[in-house]
Amino acid sequence: MINVLLTGVGGQGTVLAAKVLAQAAQSKGWQVRTAETIGMAQRGGSVISHVRMGSDGEQVHAPLLTRGTADLVIAFEPGEAARVLPFLAPDGVLVTATTPVQPVTAALSKEPYRAADVLRGIKGALGARQVLVPVDDAALTEQAGNRKALNTVLLTCAIAQDHIPVTVEELKGALAACVKPRFVEMNLQAVDKTLATLSVR
Amino acid sequence: MTKKLLMGNEAFAHAALEAGVRVVAGYPGTPSSEVIETVAKRRAAGAARGVHVEWSTNEKAALEVAAGAAYCGARVLFTCKQVGLNVASDALMSLNYVGVRGGTVLFVADDPGPISSQTEQDTRRFAAFAKVPVLDPSTPDEGFAMMKAAFELSERYHTPVIVRPTTRICHASTFFDVADETEARPVPEDGFAKDPKWVIFPRRSFEAHGEINERLREIARDFAEDPTFAAFNVVVEGGGVSAGDGVAAAGAAATSGSQAPASGSPAAPAPAPRLGILAGGVSAAYAREALAIIEREARAAGAVVPAYRFMQVGTPYPFPADAVARFAEGLDVVLVLEELDYVLEDELLRLAGARRLPVRVLGKLTGDARGRGENTTEDVALRIARFFDMRGFLGEASRNTRSDTGEARSGVATGTTLGKTAGQNLGEDASSASEGKNGACAVSERAFLAPLVEKACAEVASSRYEGPLPVRPPVLCAGCPHRGSFYAVKRALGKRDAVLCGDIGCYTLGNAKPLDAVDTCLCMGAGITMAQGFAVAEPHKKQVAFVGDSTFFASGLTGIVNAVYNGHDITVAVLDNATTAMTGSQPHPGTGVTLMGPKRKPVSIEGMLRAMGVECITFADPLNLEESLGAAREAIDFEGPSAIIFRSPCIQLKKPESAVLISADACTGCKKCITEIGCPGIGFDADAQGPRSKGRGQAFVDASLCNGCALCTQVCPFEAITVAAANGANEEATPATTEGAKELAATEGAKASAGSQGAPSAVAEGGAR
Repeated sequence: MINVLLTGVGGQGTVLAAKVLAQAAQSKGWQVRTAETIGMAQRGGSVISHVRMGSDGEQVHAPLLTRGTADLVIAFEPGEAARVLPFLAPDGVLVTATTPVQPVTAALSKEPYRAADVLRGIKGALGARQVLVPVDDAALTEQAGNRKALNTVLLTCAIAQDHIPVTVEELKGALAACVKPRFVEMNLQAVDKTLATLSVR
Repeated sequence: MTKKLLMGNEAFAHAALEAGVRVVAGYPGTPSSEVIETVAKRRAAGAARGVHVEWSTNEKAALEVAAGAAYCGARVLFTCKQVGLNVASDALMSLNYVGVRGGTVLFVADDPGPISSQTEQDTRRFAAFAKVPVLDPSTPDEGFAMMKAAFELSERYHTPVIVRPTTRICHASTFFDVADETEARPVPEDGFAKDPKWVIFPRRSFEAHGEINERLREIARDFAEDPTFAAFNVVVEGGGVSAGDGVAAAGAAATSGSQAPASGSPAAPAPAPRLGILAGGVSAAYAREALAIIEREARAAGAVVPAYRFMQVGTPYPFPADAVARFAEGLDVVLVLEELDYVLEDELLRLAGARRLPVRVLGKLTGDARGRGENTTEDVALRIARFFDMRGFLGEASRNTRSDTGEARSGVATGTTLGKTAGQNLGEDASSASEGKNGACAVSERAFLAPLVEKACAEVASSRYEGPLPVRPPVLCAGCPHRGSFYAVKRALGKRDAVLCGDIGCYTLGNAKPLDAVDTCLCMGAGITMAQGFAVAEPHKKQVAFVGDSTFFASGLTGIVNAVYNGHDITVAVLDNATTAMTGSQPHPGTGVTLMGPKRKPVSIEGMLRAMGVECITFADPLNLEESLGAAREAIDFEGPSAIIFRSPCIQLKKPESAVLISADACTGCKKCITEIGCPGIGFDADAQGPRSKGRGQAFVDASLCNGCALCTQVCPFEAITVAAANGANEEATPATTEGAKELAATEGAKASAGSQGAPSAVAEGGAR
């Protein structure tokens, strides 16, 4: 069983990213279940998508994964990454965007909300076998030419970690299957550009 | 056939279409809306032929439209969320007495948590109240099969049938084989056959009640014996073998979904189980996962999982008593796991009483299951583990009890229940069973499994971020026109004492600070009528009722007539954003857009208000502050019922303008743009400095969120915020006309439904933003 948790702020595109992962898993013949946050919480609130893949041929019953079982967490916002930390498996990988989205509650309060503080806190909280992968999403989406490529950029960074047995080719195939035809090319290019930048580092 | 990744609701729409549904009607509400949107999308694409689909004005209208078609023999589907059934209940209660000809399925989505709802009401309970059968899936796959079976059942007994999934079924996705094309079953040629039975009269109702009672008995038998329905009431056995390879089979057994009890190990026949687990809905799926976790942990620790019998009740009403009695045979104790109400628990208690079964029932009523909110795999695992740990008592005590008295008493001698061990009772905040740390201790040295599960959960979930994190509640989107409407009304009221009655929709979010503009919210349309009660009781205050355009049509009209008729001095602020926004941009009568294609003449809100006798009606674009203030003042100052119509389309319907700019030279860091209107597009950087900010920090624009509505430019006292010059930043985004956008919303409903701020379909699919 492979569990992936995607989190972010309503509107960032976690739902489609979950769909792409599910499609990739299905192309491998695995049983898949996903679950989404839809409705009021989507209005700028914290959202979570669960993706559960029966990678060993097992039956997946529940749509939601439990704490400590996410092999991979993909966070679209650093504060939301911090919020879901208890879901990360003891040997899990956390891929997170580093650009914060400041909620109105933070703008109103006197406490400043800084991504650097949050990322430092996450790093300190991680177990010995847990891995944090901060992603410079601002630079990578700019390079992709569109902020809306955030989910493709993050998915690419996550797959590139080689932590779950889904390949870049399978990711591309899933993108082509899930995204509207006229946006396929742009997304596939976003994958390649992101990979190129990663390999340079 | 094509294999597709479908959300539960999308799959249910496919199932209904494959069953030949001819008429589909409903009113939007999370988590139910995607069913109708999917039907509309399939119809628009030419893949679903012969189906009529509509968003009706409200749920009552929808059910009555469906009922009429069903009298003619058409298969019909009605959809709503749980509170929507309250609105349609008048129709439903009588419809069951009259009966139907064509298969009549009510898709009613419940929302444990609640995640997007006003109540945690349980539609299984409603079904029993209305004496209508109900099916309750544990997975989207099962719901797909139930949808088809529901049409069969409805026609077999001429009864409406409810299919009741919950949010985690509706919004969970998996892969389905679905038909590429569907054809609605034609209405029988003889059509509506006139007959006295279609006219409900007291005498006829008395007869019909007898028929209902009779058919419920027969349906309960079908649910227990007819393979089509009995398949939804799965029984499996597991455990009962010592640790080792045999135990693994129990987890596998729990996944088999077969009727036949599967024993743990072929080598060592398992002892007859004395512990039972009865579950319904998504809790059944959680229980199966939980059993797998318990068995895994037991195997690792060399502990024994006791023999158990598990049953999922997928047909909760009428209760399949014979099937559940077979399940309960030989069991001492049964733990019942379900969300919302204790429906299965009640039924099992009644069954045990009626048939004198020597079984003790644990669940919500005994504090052994969560009394409210959602269940989780983790919580269920811990509760089942504690339940299993009771086995030490059970053996001796229950045997003694039985041989001594033959009474139906369980062996939990002193009335100890898991509830005590978990430290939780019905009504308490049952946030997590794992909080009841002493639970395992209460079953002393016999506790094996609970500590294992507890330890497993605690160990793997060790990472926790300890620093401060800002809460992130849902908010009105950046650029949302409602923000300007609320702000103008509050400014117009000034220091005047006022009660602001809100209603159901995105604009309920106007309650958040700093707008703080919603003092009440009860149910659809209530704001308008409640304001009148406030006006009578506190005439010295001003009452303003906010109502959205869709809610205005759905249930605002009677309230306005009441205000005119009884002369209540209230002001109704209609927030007309040209869509049903909260549920995902569905059209409504005021848009004229229909799911069938042709656009009708929009029903005019202004025209309705005038026709109802409202004499003072003002208008404003809520993104124009000055205009809005003028319109609000005029309506508020008018004596007698008055209305302000704030008109500006939802941001989902139009391409955004370029983000506004904040001048670092001009921003003083006064925070007025934040403390006055609280737009998520504006943040505050405590470290930023400008010539006029004096170390206070400065506001900044999050260009990925800012919609360019420019309300903030009218609020900033220092003219530090300006609209970006037209520099071609919008070149990819030809602004859609409102009309065009509305059509888009209608035909691409499913896409829109998933999205706030252009969201889920967002993989680089938008224009400039």
